[in-house]
Amino acid sequence: MSALPRSIGSRLLPLVARPTVRRAFAPQIRHYADEPSPKINALDAPSTKPAEAAMISRESGGEGTPSHQPDYDVSIDYRVSNFSPIPKRVMDGSEPGDSVAAAVLSGAPVDLQARTVRIYRPAKSATQSGDWHSHHWVMDWDPLPKGHRWENPLMGWQSSADFMQGYSLNFKSKEDAVAFANKQGYEYFVQEPNERKFVPKAYANNFVHIPKKLKVIRTK
Amino acid sequence: MINPTYLAVRTRSSANWGDAKTRVIHSYRDWIRSAPEVQQMYTLSLPVSTIRTKIRQEFERHRYVAQLKTVDVLLFNSHQEYQETLNYWKQLTHVLKYFRTEEEPKARLPANFISGFLEGRN
Repeated sequence: MSALPRSIGSRLLPLVARPTVRRAFAPQIRHYADEPSPKINALDAPSTKPAEAAMISRESGGEGTPSHQPDYDVSIDYRVSNFSPIPKRVMDGSEPGDSVAAAVLSGAPVDLQARTVRIYRPAKSATQSGDWHSHHWVMDWDPLPKGHRWENPLMGWQSSADFMQGYSLNFKSKEDAVAFANKQGYEYFVQEPNERKFVPKAYANNFVHIPKKLKVIRTK
Repeated sequence: MINPTYLAVRTRSSANWGDAKTRVIHSYRDWIRSAPEVQQMYTLSLPVSTIRTKIRQEFERHRYVAQLKTVDVLLFNSHQEYQETLNYWKQLTHVLKYFRTEEEPKARLPANFISGFLEGRN
């Protein structure tokens, strides 16, 4: 049970006899060995009203625009490591729109919102002429600059600090992939596929009459 | 007769923002009130004020959520954590997940580009 300072009998004490807190002689805050001494006295009343507090403010039009600078002040979670990239913006649920703020709710590491994601269509296999594998869209994570692979000193196995290095997600359409990336707060870029140019030809067009002088004669 | 588990609540959605605000404040007060009990239960070597600061930090993280449904899910998660913590279903390792920065001051992002570069983070 929690050790509350009140005893059962204190409620029965008359109002006069109950010990009152006298602010002029109140003790200083207890300092613990590992806690730095606080700079403010907790008994001071707050001087700023809630409406004027610096912590609560409406963001201006410029503040809502996407930032391209890394944000070093972001609050980190327990999964931060020496290889964690710095996020540019972290989703906090205040974004306008109806989509679910999945980055806030999923409990995924904040590092994932720092990493760039590539949305692309896998290229057709060059060794075969069928393109059955290149109709879906793939979401792939860019490798980390420093922790993505090193050799294990004991056995020489390939070790990695990148937990997304073997992952790719498949989507039916580009819009699905983009909506997913937006929902999860990922920075993404879409790589448009190289579509093959195919000119439909008809053998009968070799014999069509052309009034001017022919550059290439296609018939005997 | 089946007795419900200690601290079990029926799932509900907030009717409006005022309802959500009341639920958030009740949840916050429950957490703050439970801080000495958590410290004793899990024999944490942190003062109660640190636990309360951490509770406040976790609530402040979601201060600017704009959608009511997201707030509902966050309230559910908060109460789930509360039940798991006070029923002793968690272990010390699970509770200490919240105190990574206190336990290991070196686990942090660099303050600016140059200190990150000098550390070798690139």
